[in-house]
Amino acid sequence: MPGPKGPGVTIIHKYWRIWLRTASMAMQAQLTYRLGSFGFLLGKMISLFFFFAFMAAVFQHVETVAGYSLVETALFFMTFNLVDMTAQILFRGVYGARRTVSEGDFDFYLVQPCSPLFRMTCSTVDFLDIVTIIPVIVMTGMVFARLPTLGWLNYAAYGLLMLNGVGLIYAIHILVAALAVRTQELESAIWIYRDIMFMGKFPVDVYAPAVRWALTIGIPIAVMTTFPAKALLGRLSPFWIVYALALTAVALPLSWHFWKNSVARYTSSSS
Amino acid sequence: MKKYRVAYQIALQETLQRRSTLIMDRLGGFAVVVSLYSFWTALIGDKATFLGYTRAEMLTYVLALNILRSFVFTGRGWQLVGEISSGRISSYLIRPLSYHGYALALDLAQKTIHVAASFFEVSLLAVCVRGELFLPRDPATWLLFSVAVLLSSLLFFFLEFMVSSLAFWTSESGGPLFCFELFLQFAAGAFFPLDVLPLGLRRALEATPFPYMVYFPVRIFLEKVPPFEAMGMLGMEALWLMAVFTAAMMIWRRGVRSYAAEGG
Repeated sequence: MPGPKGPGVTIIHKYWRIWLRTASMAMQAQLTYRLGSFGFLLGKMISLFFFFAFMAAVFQHVETVAGYSLVETALFFMTFNLVDMTAQILFRGVYGARRTVSEGDFDFYLVQPCSPLFRMTCSTVDFLDIVTIIPVIVMTGMVFARLPTLGWLNYAAYGLLMLNGVGLIYAIHILVAALAVRTQELESAIWIYRDIMFMGKFPVDVYAPAVRWALTIGIPIAVMTTFPAKALLGRLSPFWIVYALALTAVALPLSWHFWKNSVARYTSSSS
Repeated sequence: MKKYRVAYQIALQETLQRRSTLIMDRLGGFAVVVSLYSFWTALIGDKATFLGYTRAEMLTYVLALNILRSFVFTGRGWQLVGEISSGRISSYLIRPLSYHGYALALDLAQKTIHVAASFFEVSLLAVCVRGELFLPRDPATWLLFSVAVLLSSLLFFFLEFMVSSLAFWTSESGGPLFCFELFLQFAAGAFFPLDVLPLGLRRALEATPFPYMVYFPVRIFLEKVPPFEAMGMLGMEALWLMAVFTAAMMIWRRGVRSYAAEGG
């Protein structure tokens, strides 16, 4: 029976509670793994620090890169980090998808009164990324403070395209999870995504035209990471904003369909 | 030696058997190289030199990174952590072989495949950039570079082995290893030449063994270092290798003494 607030609210409440419970379990596990967690956290911070130091050092020698100043390039870099880390916090479960399937845990997901896709993708939360995203938010604020005055529409487009980017990343994660269910292999599929995402650290304009098109149309890293920052700077035409939104609107149902099809073919892989 | 040769051959076959994983690994690494290559191309723009590197030298640096990443940064650290934590290391300790020799044989198999793949990728990119690359004029440079890369590879192997051996005392050694590898890649110059860093920071890094893994070998290849100075660098690298090897073996022996495994 749906509650007094309606079935939609009840479902959201249920999933929120499941997420909180699994997130709490993940946090407890990470807290018991203190030295390991500290090492991973320090590694993420080192990576962030060195890249930022690299950018700052590079701009000691040049005025602009591909037509962007230091502050603008930093905006691209911070936007990449915000989108990427948000996705890592929310969809971390996909990184262990193949193991979930091959060890038989996925069979349990299927009989639980909860979406197996939700269990597979969202029920593992990496708290180290939550800690890492705090300095990223602070640094993004510092970058914002150095930008010229921009209209509220720019900020609205920035926020919308960031959300859109996270949605597109979710579509890719669904695809990877579906491949794990379908093949019980392709463990490295998520890592190839991570390596290709590396290209999003720089504005897409630094790449050769062919690569730029590939990153906009083929593997749309640019849509996830470069578009929000370009929209904020007022350098993205309405056509590309519509394209970005339409791409996610198509990619999400398609990956969802692929997931459902993969689950329908699944015949259990453990003993 | 025969047993290590057999281990090498089996590892080679295993790596080639997992072709999809290999192709995906290479594709991911290639994306990083294309990314860095494009960024440096944008940085150089129409300038004749940037940070003392000509366009051809800088682009060669980025492409050499791909080969060096494949040859230097493919240790057995994560496998060692897994084997100690799970207790699988016990079965190696009772075998009539040296674990280090066995791990080196497996590592060499991995390097063989990845270096071959990286040469193919670099050739592909070299064709795309229409041969705008720097190749050493002095034949001695090739020899010096080869020795430097060989020493770098062993240096990384034993450094990683040393950090991974923490697993003998704690089941949480994955974190420190992750942190170490990330720091090492930046400090070695595997993302950008260390010339870009402020002088003080660069000097501090140059006093560590890390730049000997990528930055110095590429500088030798680009003939930025006179041959006599390059030989001095190799001597220093050999000293670092001896120091790291001694420390790694000492930690290993202590670790094995404190190691205990339960169950069958």
